[in-house]
Amino acid sequence: MQLISKALFKQSLKANWMRWVTVTVATCVMLAIVIVVLGNLGINDIRDSLKNVFTEANQDSELKEESIDAYDSYFTIMGNYDGLYGMLSINFSGTVGSKIEDSCSQFDTSMQDFVTQNGRQPNETERQTIIDDTIQAFIDSFGVPESLIEQFLPGMANGMTLDELKAMLADIINYYDTVYAEPTDEDKTEYPVIDNYFAQQIYNEAYAREIAEEGATEEYATSRAEAARVMAIDIVGQYQGDVANAGGTYDYDANNYLTIATDYVNDTMYQNVYDIMIGEGQTDNDARINAVAVKVISNTAITTYQMLITDEDFALTVDTSETTVPEAAKTEACKSITDQIPDQVATALTELGDMDMYGLIIGSIFYRIAGLLLPMVFVIMTANSLLAGQVDSGSMAYVLSTPTKRRTVSVTQMTYLVVALFAMYALLTIVSVISVFVVGGNSFAINYGEILLFNLGAFLTMFAFAGFCFMCSAIFNRSKHSMSVGGGLTIFMLVCTILGLFGSSVVPSAMRISAMDFFNYLSIISFFDTVSILNGTLDYLWKFAILLGIGIVTIIIGVFRFDKKDLPL
Amino acid sequence: MEVIKAQNLTKDYGFGRGIFDLNFDVKKGETFGFVGTNGSGKTTTIRHIMGFCKPNSGSVEVVGKNSWKYASEIKRYVEYVPGEIAFPDLRTGTEFLRSQAELLGIHDMQYANYLIEKLQLDPSANLKRMSKGMKQKTAIVAALMANKEILILDEPTTGLDPLMRLTFLELIKEEKAKGKTILMSSQMFDELEDTCDRVALIFEGHIVDIADLSKIKNLPYKMYKIEFLNVDEYKKFKKLKFEIVRDQEKYNQVTVKIDNDKLGKLFTVLKKYHLKFLSEVDYNLEKYFMEVLKKHKEEVKNAVN
Repeated sequence: MQLISKALFKQSLKANWMRWVTVTVATCVMLAIVIVVLGNLGINDIRDSLKNVFTEANQDSELKEESIDAYDSYFTIMGNYDGLYGMLSINFSGTVGSKIEDSCSQFDTSMQDFVTQNGRQPNETERQTIIDDTIQAFIDSFGVPESLIEQFLPGMANGMTLDELKAMLADIINYYDTVYAEPTDEDKTEYPVIDNYFAQQIYNEAYAREIAEEGATEEYATSRAEAARVMAIDIVGQYQGDVANAGGTYDYDANNYLTIATDYVNDTMYQNVYDIMIGEGQTDNDARINAVAVKVISNTAITTYQMLITDEDFALTVDTSETTVPEAAKTEACKSITDQIPDQVATALTELGDMDMYGLIIGSIFYRIAGLLLPMVFVIMTANSLLAGQVDSGSMAYVLSTPTKRRTVSVTQMTYLVVALFAMYALLTIVSVISVFVVGGNSFAINYGEILLFNLGAFLTMFAFAGFCFMCSAIFNRSKHSMSVGGGLTIFMLVCTILGLFGSSVVPSAMRISAMDFFNYLSIISFFDTVSILNGTLDYLWKFAILLGIGIVTIIIGVFRFDKKDLPL
Repeated sequence: MEVIKAQNLTKDYGFGRGIFDLNFDVKKGETFGFVGTNGSGKTTTIRHIMGFCKPNSGSVEVVGKNSWKYASEIKRYVEYVPGEIAFPDLRTGTEFLRSQAELLGIHDMQYANYLIEKLQLDPSANLKRMSKGMKQKTAIVAALMANKEILILDEPTTGLDPLMRLTFLELIKEEKAKGKTILMSSQMFDELEDTCDRVALIFEGHIVDIADLSKIKNLPYKMYKIEFLNVDEYKKFKKLKFEIVRDQEKYNQVTVKIDNDKLGKLFTVLKKYHLKFLSEVDYNLEKYFMEVLKKHKEEVKNAVN
């Protein structure tokens, strides 16, 4: 059965070509203007700068956290180191380094003696006894009764008890025995065992902190911790130098650590940034400017942090059942711009920064609204004139008084409508691709893939409307009925999409009226999901399938209905 | 042989509108007319013959095929001039005729050109600016150019000027002479009388009567209206044994019905009278149908009572 009548197709072509040309040219021009003119205006500049503010604010916040973490570690470790070191050197003669070295050597000797006497390695209990003996010998070497030793140790800045002192020594000896006695890394033996021990503490602490971070790898945590160890050795060495320069006498002063730890962290930050910038091929001047900026941020953070922990008024504001004062101080010191403004304003500004103006104007406004209007007019008028109009006027009688089947008539007219629409969007696609090419191709905010999907989506949307209008044209015998139902509902949906735009997620929350989103549920244009296309999710695919389905089903209903109905010809 | 045959054809549009239980047939080579007032069901009947509408019950067969089921097949035999003239949205008559030829599968435009020439039609004119007459001519050419066996016309002369109407009826007669079966509807009795072999009267969706025109035209009697100059003669004439169908005393008038073979006798008698005038009373389709209709209305009235 012949389903397409060439003569009828030609008739439809001749009857509607002018409308087709007008609508196509007008829509193409609109599209070209939208893409080319907007492409040269740089409408995303404000958004980009806003986005930069937020990105930088977040970077600052991270930088500050890093500085404070580093400062905190050094400060704590130095306190411990200084407490032990200072206690030993003030109350008794001799350097603590050599005393601890001696204890370690003593432990070594005792272990070897055990092997000589018993002909075997000591087991765990026997080894512990040897450690305990070594510590006891170390304590005894001060010549003070054990019960009084805490009082003799005012230099234990952190208020270390005797038990804690013993535990620390046991730790040092264990560290010596397992790591230090069999050096594999030359760096470690360059420094006294006690320095290495504290450096190891820093390493462990840094490792624990890094590995706890989300998405941290073993390798990354290890390298970060290793860097922290190197810095710790460095800072301890510097501290020792300062103490030596002061004439070797220990003068307990908390500010001393503060200054040294702060300076060290700031300098390290400066050096790191400088090295990175130079590595990236920046000029010396630029690298210095950036490094200084970072140093200032780091310094601000640490200073704020120091002030907050020591501030009694601040301590009162902290709910200590939930968090510690230092943690609260850290949070406060690391606040970025976004943390300091009210939540709703922050959300609004962040969304404004994230808003894609091209996506909004080209995707949601042009392809879903403005660019649909003229093709809609074409579809409404043409679909009506293809069947209902000809039945209403009576001109259909001429076709049907020839041996042409009704099925052939409806299928031919439907084919014309779909082919005309397809040709229209093929041209629009070409124009849009050329326009995107003119404004920079894939470097433009909307790339070729997205613009092709926009055109496909708009075509499928119009296909659904064409099917619907065609169905109305096939069902009704009067033009006015076909126009009011087919055209009326189509325009209704377009208007709903316009109203729904104000409630959709593409509009920043500052301007959004979420109740308006209701209108989006009244329009099949909502199945043309430009947001999904721009976000790269695949939601738009099943929605495209629905649009295609609507078109096909309505066309089939129209064709069958036209076969069966009475024609007033 | 019956070319068109309607059996119990019924289409009820509600409110008493539609066509009801129509039975008629059109024989090959015959010219068949439909006459009736506006809305009586002429066009509805033609739509069913053309297969544009589906009957509620009954059927129409064209060349033995059900016209609804085989709507596209019967068009191989039928050419149609619709009542309302609206052309497809094309620019000129030529464009329209060419498109129609393509739809009809005609490659040889010779006959079409013959028709154009005969009708003195200028098909290159803009379709929208054509006068009613030109449009009708174009529609005729579009229908006739395939030269099929059956021609169906729905009120083809409505809106044409008298001169145009004559040309038009001339053409139909010509088609009839070629042996085409023709079915046409009209509100005018005289044009049907002129062209048709048989005419069906449709009234409120029913065929009241189908008249055979040869019988109406060749009646075995004639009627004359006679007015006498004086009353005496008038009274004298009335005493003679002529069949008087109407008597108007006031004017000294009588209407006499007389068999064809007795005409000479009447005129011999009348020689002796002084007449004011004598005229033949025409008996035509219109009169015939008026009588039929009157009778029908009375029957319906009685049936209701």
